[in-house]
Amino acid sequence: MQVAYAPDTEFDWPAIEVRALRKVYRGGVEAVKGIDFDVASGEVFGLLGPNAAGKSTTIGMLTTTVVPTSGCARLAGYDVVKEPRKARSVSSVVFQEAVVDGGLSGRANLDLHARLWGVPAATAATRIDELIEAFGVAELIDRPVESFSGGQRRRLEIARALVSQPQVLFLDEPTVGLDPRIRHELLDVIAALRSRRDTTILLTTHYLDEARRLCDRVAIIHQGEIAALDTPASLLAGLGPEILELRLDGDGDAALASLRSRGIATTDAFAIGSSLTIALDGRPAGEAIAAITDAGVRASGFMTRPPTLDDVYLRLTGAPIAQAA
Amino acid sequence: MSATAIRTGAMALRRPALTRRATALRTLAMRRAALTARNPRQIAVPLLTPILFATVIAPALSKALGGLHTHIDYIAFVSVGTVGLLVPLAAIFAGLSVIVDRHSGAQKELLAAPIPRALLVLSNLVVVLALATFQVIVLIAVAALRGGSFDITATGVFWFVAASVLFTVFMYGVAETLAARIPRQEEYIGATPAVAILPFFFAGALFPIHVLPGALAAFAKLLPLTHALALMRYGFVDHRGTGLHDIWGMTNATTEAWLSLGVVAMFATAFIALGIRTFKRSAVS
Repeated sequence: MQVAYAPDTEFDWPAIEVRALRKVYRGGVEAVKGIDFDVASGEVFGLLGPNAAGKSTTIGMLTTTVVPTSGCARLAGYDVVKEPRKARSVSSVVFQEAVVDGGLSGRANLDLHARLWGVPAATAATRIDELIEAFGVAELIDRPVESFSGGQRRRLEIARALVSQPQVLFLDEPTVGLDPRIRHELLDVIAALRSRRDTTILLTTHYLDEARRLCDRVAIIHQGEIAALDTPASLLAGLGPEILELRLDGDGDAALASLRSRGIATTDAFAIGSSLTIALDGRPAGEAIAAITDAGVRASGFMTRPPTLDDVYLRLTGAPIAQAA
Repeated sequence: MSATAIRTGAMALRRPALTRRATALRTLAMRRAALTARNPRQIAVPLLTPILFATVIAPALSKALGGLHTHIDYIAFVSVGTVGLLVPLAAIFAGLSVIVDRHSGAQKELLAAPIPRALLVLSNLVVVLALATFQVIVLIAVAALRGGSFDITATGVFWFVAASVLFTVFMYGVAETLAARIPRQEEYIGATPAVAILPFFFAGALFPIHVLPGALAAFAKLLPLTHALALMRYGFVDHRGTGLHDIWGMTNATTEAWLSLGVVAMFATAFIALGIRTFKRSAVS
């Protein structure tokens, strides 16, 4: 009998453990620059950033399709380089693009996953039936997947990933390319996964509203490095309860430099094009606007609003996430 | 922090390794077979040209030129020769499926599965072998109905099957290697004539290689297809082993057959290993 690989008892390590993980592609492009993070069992963790930030490379290393240049990563204690099959046995992936056998039925796609992940046949049959019901695909499950709509296919792919009851579930940009109605439906589906406390979820996205809604903690990744890592609430708290947004007549960078030199704007303030955003830090908006006007900065419009994760991202990276994407 | 560790995901790795791999291989082969069955063209198209050769061109040439002027029936000779076109086309079609899988299929899901990645190649090979077996049986049956004269014995079946299986393994290794290295379908299809069709004209598929000029005959002897066809004919058409003598120039046909089988086996082993290695390397970055 083969030695059992999986631990038989409870374990003490994080579900995902990443240490000094680095990837340099051929040609010298350093996509990931030695990142560190842990994800606790049952946690929903978001990896935010634009395209080319290093998210997909990080997911690739964790799912053993990209070989790290240095550093290490473990899934449920299994090293992804030294024990790749064991690491894959405890995880499932929902890929950014459609990854299905379009010519086969939805049920055949689910069944294939069950067999490859070694789910006993009787268990698989029951579980697949439960997932088909839970994900609302019962009426089309025996049709070829190529006849599914984008949203139906996405539901199927998430259901498929859950057939093996993974300890770690990777959702790589799960809502990208979907129309707004289907996207919101799918967010409800993903939000429901939060109730599965025995499944750890790593979600990548460049939709910050998704991250705020779904994630316990988020890491903002920029140019291969983690620029910030905390709960969405803590990241937002860094900008205070309210921010002031100005639409300037001139150059935002010059205005920002002027306001900083006068102590009106702090390091939390940032300028994107002709738009300037300043954390109010408890000051009344009127007082701040008066100070700005006195400093000679001309604005065509002012607006106060609560900060969003987009503001956090802009402050940290200096580029709008959608623009960078 | 705590979490339950006994999960079905890990169950896959708890069974004996051999059972686990056999189950995965069967699962993957069934998947490939199901996808192939949905595409009847993949089954029928490789058969068309060989059947045309066996039922139209060979009888016509035989009638016009008087055959090979030996004890060998020309229709049977060419029918076996066209296996050298049938198998490469079947293998190339199967390789095309790998590219389709990569671009619009479930290959990424399979790469994320807790199985040895070599099984993805081997499962495709199993299906190609089954498909090629079916196609060869149809070809020989059609040729026999058209008047081809075959002399099939148990020993002959051994040589025929061994040669055709090993040649199929070799050709699928070539197809898999190309599919892993060539990014787009268009480029892959562009490579087909050089890989699947050109050797057919050098390897004595339509005529014995001794009628070729010396340099071309020497080149033909280096091709695994030449050895495979000589073996298949030794099994089904010409028990004297004329084709084997043309290659080896020895007197003992059985010794020559083993030598040729060794050559085909060597190519099969080398290229399927190369195919697996290339696939595994292309699957990760």
